[in-house]
Amino acid sequence: MSDIAAPIARTALSFPGPLRTVDGWETTARHATGGLRLTDLGPLVKLTVRGPADGSVRTALGTSFGRTARPRGGPLAGALVVGSGPGEWLVLGAPGTGGELLAGVGAIVADSGEFASVVDVTHGRALVRLTGEAAPLLLSKVCAIDLTDRVVPNGSAFRSSVARVVTDVVRDDRADGAARTRSYLLHCERSSGQYLADSLVDAGIEYGIEVGAAAADPI
Amino acid sequence: MMLLTCPNCGARNVSEFRYVGEAKSRPDPETATPEQWRRYLYFHRNPAGWISETWYHGSGCRRYFGIERNTVDNAQRSAAGTAGATS
Amino acid sequence: MTRPGARRRAAADHRLGARPGEVIDRSRTIEFRWNGVTHTAHPGDTIASALAAAGVRMFARSYKYHRPRGLLTADIFDPGAILQVGDEPNVRAAHRLVEPGMDVRSQNTWPSLRYDVKAVNQLAGRFLATGFYYKTFIKPERLWPTYEKVLRQFVHAGEVPPDSEQPYFDKRYAHPDVLVAGGGPAGLAAALSAARAGARVMLVEQEHQLGGHLRWGDADDLRLRDELVAAVEAEAGIEVLTDSVVAARYDDNWLALVQRGLPHVAERLIKARAGTLVVAAGLIERPYVFAGNDLPGVMLSTAVRRLLNLYAVRPGRRAVVFTANPEGDAAAADLRAAGVDVVEVDARHGRTVVRATGRGGVEAVELSDGSRIEADLLVTAIGWTAPTSLLNMSGANPVYRPDAARFVPDPGATPDGVIAVGGIAGDGTREELVAHAEAAGREAAARASALAAVHAAGRPDGPAATPRPAEPVPALGLRHHPELFYATPTGGFVDMSEDVSAKDILTAVKEGYDSSELVKRYTTATMGPAQGKLETVNTVALVAHATGKTIAETGATTWRPMYTPITLGALAGRKFEPVRHSPVQPWHEAHKATPLIAGQWIRPEHYGDPAAEVRNVRAGVGIIDVTPIGKLDLQGPDVPKLLNLLYVNKWSKLGIGRVRYGVMCAEDGVVLDDGVTGRLAENHYLMSTTSSGAGTVWEWAENWLQTEHPEWQIHITPVTTAFASINVAGPKSRELLARLTDVDLDNTAFGYMNVRTGTIAGVDNCVLWRIGFTGELSYELHVPASYGLHVWEALMATGADLGIAPFGVEAQRILRLEKGHFIVGQDTDGLTKAYSAGLDRVVKLDKSDFAGKPELAWQAARGEYPMLVGLRPLDTSVIPEEASQIISDGGYIVGRITSSRLSPTLGHPICLGQVDAHLADPGTRLTVRLRNGSDTTVEVTAEHAHFDPEGERQRV
Repeated sequence: MSDIAAPIARTALSFPGPLRTVDGWETTARHATGGLRLTDLGPLVKLTVRGPADGSVRTALGTSFGRTARPRGGPLAGALVVGSGPGEWLVLGAPGTGGELLAGVGAIVADSGEFASVVDVTHGRALVRLTGEAAPLLLSKVCAIDLTDRVVPNGSAFRSSVARVVTDVVRDDRADGAARTRSYLLHCERSSGQYLADSLVDAGIEYGIEVGAAAADPI
Repeated sequence: MMLLTCPNCGARNVSEFRYVGEAKSRPDPETATPEQWRRYLYFHRNPAGWISETWYHGSGCRRYFGIERNTVDNAQRSAAGTAGATS
Repeated sequence: MTRPGARRRAAADHRLGARPGEVIDRSRTIEFRWNGVTHTAHPGDTIASALAAAGVRMFARSYKYHRPRGLLTADIFDPGAILQVGDEPNVRAAHRLVEPGMDVRSQNTWPSLRYDVKAVNQLAGRFLATGFYYKTFIKPERLWPTYEKVLRQFVHAGEVPPDSEQPYFDKRYAHPDVLVAGGGPAGLAAALSAARAGARVMLVEQEHQLGGHLRWGDADDLRLRDELVAAVEAEAGIEVLTDSVVAARYDDNWLALVQRGLPHVAERLIKARAGTLVVAAGLIERPYVFAGNDLPGVMLSTAVRRLLNLYAVRPGRRAVVFTANPEGDAAAADLRAAGVDVVEVDARHGRTVVRATGRGGVEAVELSDGSRIEADLLVTAIGWTAPTSLLNMSGANPVYRPDAARFVPDPGATPDGVIAVGGIAGDGTREELVAHAEAAGREAAARASALAAVHAAGRPDGPAATPRPAEPVPALGLRHHPELFYATPTGGFVDMSEDVSAKDILTAVKEGYDSSELVKRYTTATMGPAQGKLETVNTVALVAHATGKTIAETGATTWRPMYTPITLGALAGRKFEPVRHSPVQPWHEAHKATPLIAGQWIRPEHYGDPAAEVRNVRAGVGIIDVTPIGKLDLQGPDVPKLLNLLYVNKWSKLGIGRVRYGVMCAEDGVVLDDGVTGRLAENHYLMSTTSSGAGTVWEWAENWLQTEHPEWQIHITPVTTAFASINVAGPKSRELLARLTDVDLDNTAFGYMNVRTGTIAGVDNCVLWRIGFTGELSYELHVPASYGLHVWEALMATGADLGIAPFGVEAQRILRLEKGHFIVGQDTDGLTKAYSAGLDRVVKLDKSDFAGKPELAWQAARGEYPMLVGLRPLDTSVIPEEASQIISDGGYIVGRITSSRLSPTLGHPICLGQVDAHLADPGTRLTVRLRNGSDTTVEVTAEHAHFDPEGERQRV
């Protein structure tokens, strides 16, 4: 084998402007300060888990279809677990935690005694976060689901068509002290990610959307 | 656009679904005659009234499910004991 | 064209003093142009009201006969005021507000509105007979293009200059509990009570202000309007949309709204899913049919009251008011108060108007008693039409009530999700109508709430819901109204938009078109911009007269979407056309790849010279981005059962590290997809599909698992774009790859049709299969997608000394055609069963059940079927176009060319084609009919493969 530059990972999204490389991931270096922002969370670890809808895997993951959980302890501490389908979960973790998360979920699967499986789709999906009070207005231009609290409260998730791309939508509001800001994660198959992000930006122009992360945004 | 009630996700725009067809049982391929097999492939009852159907929720839970629908007014009721495993 | 010198300012000398309900802002004056002349308006003026204030009576020429036309309804439905504004044609001038600098023109009048050459059509009226489109321009058919050109000159549909700016059309979804269509008193009251009952309400009003007819009413009307509007504006639960229309209602209260007058966008389409739809569309005044009824100066009473009371415009100096109802009487009173001389003709006392005469406008009115009155304005108030479109679209057809002289909704036929209120539902005093609407609004909110509970129960973990039966809304009464439709059945126009006369209706019936629906289509009555709101009932009345039936027996035509004509831009809305990219796409773009759109994918077709790309693969090494190839991760102990069911060949004994080619058929035996599946571990497989078949195969496999074999332990995860897929092909591919991977590439360690996992260019968890679509030694690399660009660039850099070059889809198509590999969907079609595709050696009829097996068994037993064969044109200068027919047996079509290219490797054209069985033997010569009509001869080859048929090159 010959010498090759260290691998650089790239998310599904690229935007004009400067780039930065963090933990081996090259992403946009754009900084968003406004009230509505789209942040590329492509580098997050993403695992899909399949198993019986009601069983010990479900118990260990702590949530079921349509809801989310943030385990405080155990092997999934710090991860966001999304009930993305009946008997189907999406586990999101900080960049670089893939090994531990996969091992943690793998142990849950192995110990369950149920037919269950886990697939690492970190590289196979696009993931963005849309944050701001105008986020539901923006989404109402591209998604036919009623986003009011009574249908999609904080901590809920659904899969539907967003700008004609099948997308997992997770309502995950940001808390900053007492203040809560509307926030959604949007997760789709990787090759459609750029199109989805472009569609969101296009729909958000009216509300002053910016691309990038704010200082306060955890990735 | 009509709503279709997915047993997993609830009522959604029908554009999220793919129509699979009238619910039918597959004849035993080892013993079926050509006539029986082609009846299975190509013949549809298509009544004006209640019909058992299979749909696929492609933009949602990605599950196949059975539902009973009235073809006259699109009224729906859940089909008992139909397809749609949840694991 | 108007020279600047010709412009002059027109005085607004028909403008009255301040009116209590006026909607214009007199503190400001703005200027606009009308056919080159500068006019003034106040903010709030419509184009039509500003022009009427300047004394303009003639706005346009009619559709067929180019007759002068003026204001009739003075609202959005006015057929006489459809104008061109700047680049925008067909603007409803009695609705559109004046903006400073607007350039307003009458449409397609030449040389001018006043002296229209085509008005000669009036004299030639007998040639434009009933159904003239059907009768006149039919034969000979070859002359149709000429007819079309001539006809277009006569149609004044406005024009869109080719360089006009493309406005942005928006789209959004909405989910109101209660949607109220119509912002008159009933709509306002219903919206208020629904919101106060806790519903989220969307209130949609077509006009610029809320209040409906209260706006041009008396002091009590204005007071009620002020109260209701103030309450609605103070209510947080009501979203008010003015200058917007509920254009259509579809199943389950799926409503199409068009919102206009927005700051950032031209128009916005709102797709609203409402819990309850409250239809408060009011009543539309019906024109009267009599000779001269289309002359400028003939107006409806509502038009006159709008002009007087909203815009402070005096519509004439001496008026005849033909009235059959209190609203007509009120119009007469309003005119008198504005200083107009008024003669009332009261239909309730048996007097009628029979004719209006004048040149270019009303000059005199003739009555049934033979008297003649000089007047420049003739006002008619002879009855109402309930615009029941949204109720019809809800499945409820209106019924005719002769005592009320109008069609009314049938409350028994409306679905629970739809409630009618206000004038469309019945008559009553202001107070009765408001009280009825309030009760309806409460019930609308209750029904929406019950429906929301049912929907919530259906969602994951939703709370149980008890259905609440709909409670009836009390019915409104009907006020008696005389039946008045036409003076005589032979005079005047029924449809001003389409220039259909009363006589045309009678002629159509005489010719045998004896139902409303047939008359509509034959005469085009009700098919113009007003979409029947002004014309339908008069048309029905005339059809009833001509057929000797009652109006109730005759019945109205069906009202379909759209309620009001809307722009195509609004319908198109925001474009949702997903495109998919590989992670290597930035490189392709930087290297000037010619893009190919394949389904949603954007792929490189070639990088300049596909033939050179082919030669480089055969002689050295090339790489192609094949990311779109479908990939499914299969896990579980029962995966071999699934593979045996989906593929026509056998899968039980696939060892770990092995790859096998397979073909899938549908249950009718037709080839569905093909690809390879490799076994990565004991219970872990990776399946590949064609690029276009990825979604289909996934759903197909899930269908089997979920509906036929839920007991099988298998999980399928689509991973198509979890990997960037790169095919490294060519005799030097092993040498190149060895520089970048830790996998042992030696032929004995990693032979043909094997799979390995390892590191490539420092990237872990890569999958390598050794397969060959191109027929060369090749490796298909599946790299974690985020590193796709990195690996591609590493291959290009590392292979520079080996002459590496990228190749695109076109080169790959040539390479595979040289090898005779078919492409599903190109060389096969919707009828091609496996044996026709030459898959005899792949299909295993001796294994138990698999998809398509019975049909394939019968196909094999029957024998006679079309065959896919290799074909070689004898004339090497001819490359038959794909889809060219193969002709034989005395001129019959016996097959077609499915793939055809010049082979850069062999230097002559090569093809695949489907032919009838008896012509499929090697050496058979066949005639191909080329696109230019000439014939060429091709010969059936021994193998599909034209190059290296033994497949030696890929096994080295």
